[in-house]
Amino acid sequence: MEANAVKSVGLRKVYRSKEAVEALKGVSIDVGKGELFTLLGPNGAGKTTFLRIISTQLLPTEGDAFVHGHSVVNEAEEVREHIAVVPQDVATYNNFTPWEYAYYFARLRGIGSAKAKEKAEEALKTVDLWELRNRICQTLSGGEKRRAIIASVLSSDADVLMLDEPTSGLDAVARRGVWSALRELVGKGKTILLTTHMMEEAEMVSDRLAIVNKGSVVACGNPEEIKGMVKEKFRVVINGDFKQLSNYSETARLGDRNIVYLKTQDEAIDLLRTSLKMNLRAETSPVTLEDVFVKLVGGLNNHENK
Amino acid sequence: MKTSKVLRDTLIIAWIKSYPDFRRNPMMLLLLAMISAIPLFFMMMFNGGGNMIVHGLIGAMVASVAFAGVNSGIQDISWDRYVKIREMIVAMPVHPASYALGIALAPLLVSIPSLILFGGVTAYLGYFTLESLGWMILALVLVWAATSSMGFMISTYLFKSSPMVLNNLANLLGIGFIFIPPVYFSEAQLGSLSWVSIIVPTSNVAGLMRSYMGLLSLSTETVMIRWAVLILMSVAFIVLTSMKSRWRET
Repeated sequence: MEANAVKSVGLRKVYRSKEAVEALKGVSIDVGKGELFTLLGPNGAGKTTFLRIISTQLLPTEGDAFVHGHSVVNEAEEVREHIAVVPQDVATYNNFTPWEYAYYFARLRGIGSAKAKEKAEEALKTVDLWELRNRICQTLSGGEKRRAIIASVLSSDADVLMLDEPTSGLDAVARRGVWSALRELVGKGKTILLTTHMMEEAEMVSDRLAIVNKGSVVACGNPEEIKGMVKEKFRVVINGDFKQLSNYSETARLGDRNIVYLKTQDEAIDLLRTSLKMNLRAETSPVTLEDVFVKLVGGLNNHENK
Repeated sequence: MKTSKVLRDTLIIAWIKSYPDFRRNPMMLLLLAMISAIPLFFMMMFNGGGNMIVHGLIGAMVASVAFAGVNSGIQDISWDRYVKIREMIVAMPVHPASYALGIALAPLLVSIPSLILFGGVTAYLGYFTLESLGWMILALVLVWAATSSMGFMISTYLFKSSPMVLNNLANLLGIGFIFIPPVYFSEAQLGSLSWVSIIVPTSNVAGLMRSYMGLLSLSTETVMIRWAVLILMSVAFIVLTSMKSRWRET
């Protein structure tokens, strides 16, 4: 029996227009069954290209990927039996209701009318839209519209759900509503492949994640493992003019705020005391996924900011 | 994929693409009927009725279907790309033929009330026989097939154009196919240029309908040629579309 829900092997994609752009440079990822796996990366990292290949919308230039053991290149029809997709920046039909989204998409998957009604009800309750099921999408908020679309893939009863930045543009409350729905689905045994550029989202919902940058995977593991990939485990954020910043090797400056990365909690507490003695407001915390992400993708760093 | 699934999905997509609009925006039906009927009002005002009204009613019936056909191919596909519902459907166990047929069928369903209205008035005026009705329905189905496939072809070849450009193009083509050629008026008025009406699907069908209603005298050979041109045109557009269109991007 196939152990992985999704497995990509050396997936490479080159877009050829005026000049060739290599969007994916041999990406190999395994996603286990019943796992919520996140592709985390900056804009243009190749996340959407990866998802579009896995969801059989786009053919790779090289390599292959398998969904429940079926090749996305050669067995697209079999792959489509297992997947449901929410594309990036998806919009709704204004005259559609959440009920129609959930019901008709279930019907299109070949589910009979009575069963589709059951599935639609279950999906709408999962995304907390049951009360609003008969309102047309035009009258729903952005978050409710997004949840209506998500309900349409949930009702499909697909084994693998692929969601491309499903919470972008949503407020914090709506975002948490979607996260809650996703975790509930994982609890029911669904496999979810998610893309996001939001660190908090990746950290909150993922069982495992891969950091993708410029078409390559730069780190893969659960959020704690990823955070363990850097030596510095703590950070101190100091507000104001901190003269001793150059004494530390791992630092970043965000305007009038200085961030110092340190290996131990004792070092962090010492620096905190020093800062407070200098009448500078400071606080310490463990490093966040965002700190690690920025370091791994080579964005903001001490050399640029000293 | 089983044929029954392909057919069922076609009907579901047609229903999805027509019923919600039909139910929640019934004004749209009135608007469609009004657009098709505008030339008819002018004809009634300036020609004082008679056969001209029936010519106008034929034009209104052809316009209802042809405008829907061109629009289905262009506007719906471009709109589906914009809302990304197409991407969701590509990743589902749905055959591309179901999608194409479904979205072409949807506007035809929406145009049915207009057809019933104009057809009803024509019947009331005594221009229908049971035999002519059968031929006319077939002609209208073929003009829908020809204009839809033409719309699909244009949409496919202008894949990278914005929905706004495609929307304007659909309206322009609709006007070009409906108001310029002899759709609302008899091709007999074009004199030696009447052959032009054969190469435009809308005027070709309008001519056939006039022939079956006894308003235009055409030889049996001419009628056969006109059917053949109509069918060939639909097939050519379908072939061109299928050659160029990609359900899955490369």
